[in-house]
Amino acid sequence: MKNSTFGKVDATFAYLIRFRALVVAAVALVTLAMGWQASQIEVKTVFSDLLPRNHPYVEVNQRFKQTFGGSNMVSIMLEVKQGDIFDPVVLGKVQKLTVDLQQVEGIDTYQIISLASKKIKEVRASTEGVESRPLMWPDLPEGEAGLAALKAAVLNNPLVYGPYVSTDLKATLVTIDFSDGNMDYTRAFNQLMKLVDETAGDGVEVRIVGEPVLYGWVNHYLHETLTIFFAAVAALVVLLCLITRTWHGTVLPLLAGLVSAIWALGAARLMGFHLDPLVVVVAFLITAQAISNSVQLIARFDDETRQGTPGAAAAARASARNLFKPSMLAIVADAGCVLVVALTPIPLLQKISFIGTVWVLTIAISALILTPVMLSWFGSRQRFIHPVNINPLLMRILGLCSAIVTTRWRFAVLGMAGVVFVMSGLYAFNLKVGDANPGSPILWPDSSYNRDAAEINRQFQGSDRMFVVVAGKEPGALREPEVLSSMTRFQKYMEAQPEVGGSVSLADILPQVNRVLREGNPMYQELGKSAEENAELMYMFVSGSDPGDMDRYADADAKNGAVTLFFRDHQGETIRTAVARVRDYVEQHPVKGADYLLAGGLVGVLAAVNEVILAGQIEAIALALLVLVVCCTVTYRSTVAGVFFMIPVLLSNTITFSYMAWQGIGMNINTLPVVALGIGLGVDYTFYIVDGIRENLHRSHNVERAIVNALMGPGKGVLITAMTLITSVVLWHFSSLRLQADMGVLIALWLFISAFSALFIMPALVYVFRPEFIVGSKRHPIEQAEPVLVG
Amino acid sequence: MLRRLRKYGGGARGVVTLMTSSAPLVIVGGLLYAGLFVKAEAVVQKVEPPAIERRDAFYGVAAPDERTVWAVGAGGKIVRSEDGGDSWVRQSLNIDANLQGIAAWDDKTAVAVGNGGVVVATSDGGATWTRAEIPGSNNPNKLFRVRIAGDSAWAVGEFGALLRSTDRGATWTRVLPEEDRAWNDIAFVGDSGWLVGEFGALTKSTDGGATWNPVEMPNKVSLMSVAFRDARNGVAVGLAGTLLVTSDGGDSWKQVPALTREHFYSVVWDEGRWLAVGDKGVMASADAAAAQWQLGRVAEGDVSWRTQIARAGSRYFLAGSNLAVLDDGALRVAGRSRM
Repeated sequence: MKNSTFGKVDATFAYLIRFRALVVAAVALVTLAMGWQASQIEVKTVFSDLLPRNHPYVEVNQRFKQTFGGSNMVSIMLEVKQGDIFDPVVLGKVQKLTVDLQQVEGIDTYQIISLASKKIKEVRASTEGVESRPLMWPDLPEGEAGLAALKAAVLNNPLVYGPYVSTDLKATLVTIDFSDGNMDYTRAFNQLMKLVDETAGDGVEVRIVGEPVLYGWVNHYLHETLTIFFAAVAALVVLLCLITRTWHGTVLPLLAGLVSAIWALGAARLMGFHLDPLVVVVAFLITAQAISNSVQLIARFDDETRQGTPGAAAAARASARNLFKPSMLAIVADAGCVLVVALTPIPLLQKISFIGTVWVLTIAISALILTPVMLSWFGSRQRFIHPVNINPLLMRILGLCSAIVTTRWRFAVLGMAGVVFVMSGLYAFNLKVGDANPGSPILWPDSSYNRDAAEINRQFQGSDRMFVVVAGKEPGALREPEVLSSMTRFQKYMEAQPEVGGSVSLADILPQVNRVLREGNPMYQELGKSAEENAELMYMFVSGSDPGDMDRYADADAKNGAVTLFFRDHQGETIRTAVARVRDYVEQHPVKGADYLLAGGLVGVLAAVNEVILAGQIEAIALALLVLVVCCTVTYRSTVAGVFFMIPVLLSNTITFSYMAWQGIGMNINTLPVVALGIGLGVDYTFYIVDGIRENLHRSHNVERAIVNALMGPGKGVLITAMTLITSVVLWHFSSLRLQADMGVLIALWLFISAFSALFIMPALVYVFRPEFIVGSKRHPIEQAEPVLVG
Repeated sequence: MLRRLRKYGGGARGVVTLMTSSAPLVIVGGLLYAGLFVKAEAVVQKVEPPAIERRDAFYGVAAPDERTVWAVGAGGKIVRSEDGGDSWVRQSLNIDANLQGIAAWDDKTAVAVGNGGVVVATSDGGATWTRAEIPGSNNPNKLFRVRIAGDSAWAVGEFGALLRSTDRGATWTRVLPEEDRAWNDIAFVGDSGWLVGEFGALTKSTDGGATWNPVEMPNKVSLMSVAFRDARNGVAVGLAGTLLVTSDGGDSWKQVPALTREHFYSVVWDEGRWLAVGDKGVMASADAAAAQWQLGRVAEGDVSWRTQIARAGSRYFLAGSNLAVLDDGALRVAGRSRM
């Protein structure tokens, strides 16, 4: 920094400190106002926020979800331990559950489907002709004969036997769908769980899965999440207190984090955003930044007082002045990186990005201004508040860093860093987009939700659905034998994928009706030979049922229909393969009169999300790095600087991505915010060290001594921040939500590698390569500091 | 390190300067390019469709010897096993029609029939199947079964279709005139033949199929399958659990009291007992006299419909809503590893 700018910054801080009471009052006032706003913020999950904007799949989903079932499907399985489900007690439970479900908040009452609903029918031939009747509606079967008749009807109906009754007859399924509206999912979840509890018993086990249930569980753990959050903050306080041994060292970083959080949440509320419970970890991530900045300022303040700067105000001014450049650079660069996330066209990510950017920028006030101003109140003669002194330990570590940099070990460190970088860089390509394991990655594999999901997927064709719309060009297109047989072949083609448990469409129903018409002879289980014959079969099926009952398969004028595919899991690879296969089939087997449209249902929507993330991941990472490079280049007026600071960032990211690939943590809508926000995390450590080196070179030309001094000064701040944050992040590991535990580890990893590179690798790099922007050159020597007037 | 390089003089220094000053530009440009233009390519796993798919329904099965088994089904599917049903290979056929029946002379020669009058024959174990022409007709032409009797192959189907081929399936002639009744099955022992069909119809031939005479039957329930263990003793099965027994070469038939309301689709004599299979996994069996019938299931818990049962050696092969092998009472469904 030029001496003149230096002077301006110094004057500003002198001014701020002179009117410190006013500054603090102003900040307090704003914090109070923002705090009131922040207290109003809603913590909830809005499903529509998860859907990418303008994606063709999402548009298909939104257009057809009312008829073909959207992404908020919930499956409830009733399983008996003894015998089979054809038992009056079990069927009574199915019936009661089916009726009671209508009262659940936000449920789409037209989409409650079970053995006891009106929608599950059989087509049978009788003396009056062919009729289609509900299997078990409105009344339960009576007596042994009734049960046997029901059993026979179920076995005869492939639309029921398999999809709604398991092949071993021990389990039956109830599926429901929720509307997307602005509703209270917590209430719906509680009502559902109450019904599940009521239904269970008498030898019947009840299991439940579906996105609304999953997010219900997440909300269920919200209290725990907050407890862990505050426990982590408490751990931070204790650790800061232990390490710094001063009141200001303990309280001020916390104050910085708190003020930032309040401002950011208040601003979020003003922008009309809500808070997703899953992104609470993100809050911790940014708070870590605020604390890091504050700790650096305090460490510098302590150094200044120790070196005899007279008066707390002067010491505070000196520390603010000297750290202004690296702090500001860290804030701006990080805010830029966070803002890049907004390019991903998923509302949830955009909201997180905007909140995050504001949050990071507030650090400029909460740490950069507030911390020095507050420090000026603390006496320059500090008394330690407890006798435990771990300073020697810190000094030993920093001594080790210096020893490595100044001896030949530096080459070993650099060599190893290079090898690790290349290896992790290659391994990071194994990172998967989408979920990497069956079950939900949000919860632990042995959570009751994931065990329920596994059981249901074992008994049935799959609880996750995707519908592919068969859009006819003319009304009646779905009666054409060519279109229908194309659908049959399409289903067969898709079912070759092992993860696709089954599929259902109009082309499955008509052969059944045809068979019934032919005395039940399976040799006639085939589509009609002409559009007229198919129209007749459709009429037979619909006759006697409510209008709309056919909607799940085709609309009233037989123009648009759906093929619903059932998936046993929704791993990224499963979905990608399925989507690619749909495309392959459509390309190789075009059919006159109809188009296949991708894709609705949960799997369809996830396919859209994954495609957006896959397409955007390179963009997001590259642009975030670009922001970093540009910020550094401008600040140090050197292109080399930009490249230089990319090194720790790249290293921490390749290692973190490798860890994700190794642990099977996929890049999905829940992990992406942390990953994207983490790109710039911890690069400030290197800023402080490098700036420390430069600052020392202002005083003398000895590079080696400058590096050692920088390690002992800002290096200590880096070490304190990293140690406290990493330790408190470990608490996330005890979360009932696997996602938060995983993200906690990721953050810890980022911080550790950033700190390690800042302390071991970067000083060695400076020593070996002597980049001009740090050590100067003959043409551009480092400007020697003029004594700054103090007072 | 740079200092060491400087020893090598101005040239080296120039190169180093050029590299260090251009590298950042290259990197920034690369990032910009990657951010705006590079899109990740999804890696997609290849899916090989198995020979037998979950959705496949099989209508006919033939086992010319203990190792060779052929089965045909919906969507023009033909599969063949050369290890007694342990593994299956799909045979390619460019026809989408449902195939209903198959018969084989040996492990090389076979003929299959199906919807829309489709008849295909092979003489090389199924490596190539050739379409055969059948006598033209304006009526629905669905063929249900094909049977082999000596050198002749007989195909039966809708609208009174009874076709005969004496050249291993290459050419076909119509034996009976068309009428509005479907023939469902045919059986021969020597020169005696029996033909069963809709509305309880049964006709008999005693001259190798040249002439046919209707037989008076006890009821009008459609008959689906017929089998004889010698020229005198035979069984016919049909819808609604119908079991008819004859011991006078098919001149008179006795109805066995119905054991079930489920349809029977196929009956065979397996050199020891009569076996009939049908809807929802039912299987009826009787001793040689066919007097005492017992109703059971193909296997405990199995509820699939079965349109044909064939035997080779100790194994039974079942076509139906799936393709299954019954070996010493244990049922194995082909293509279901998940079960």
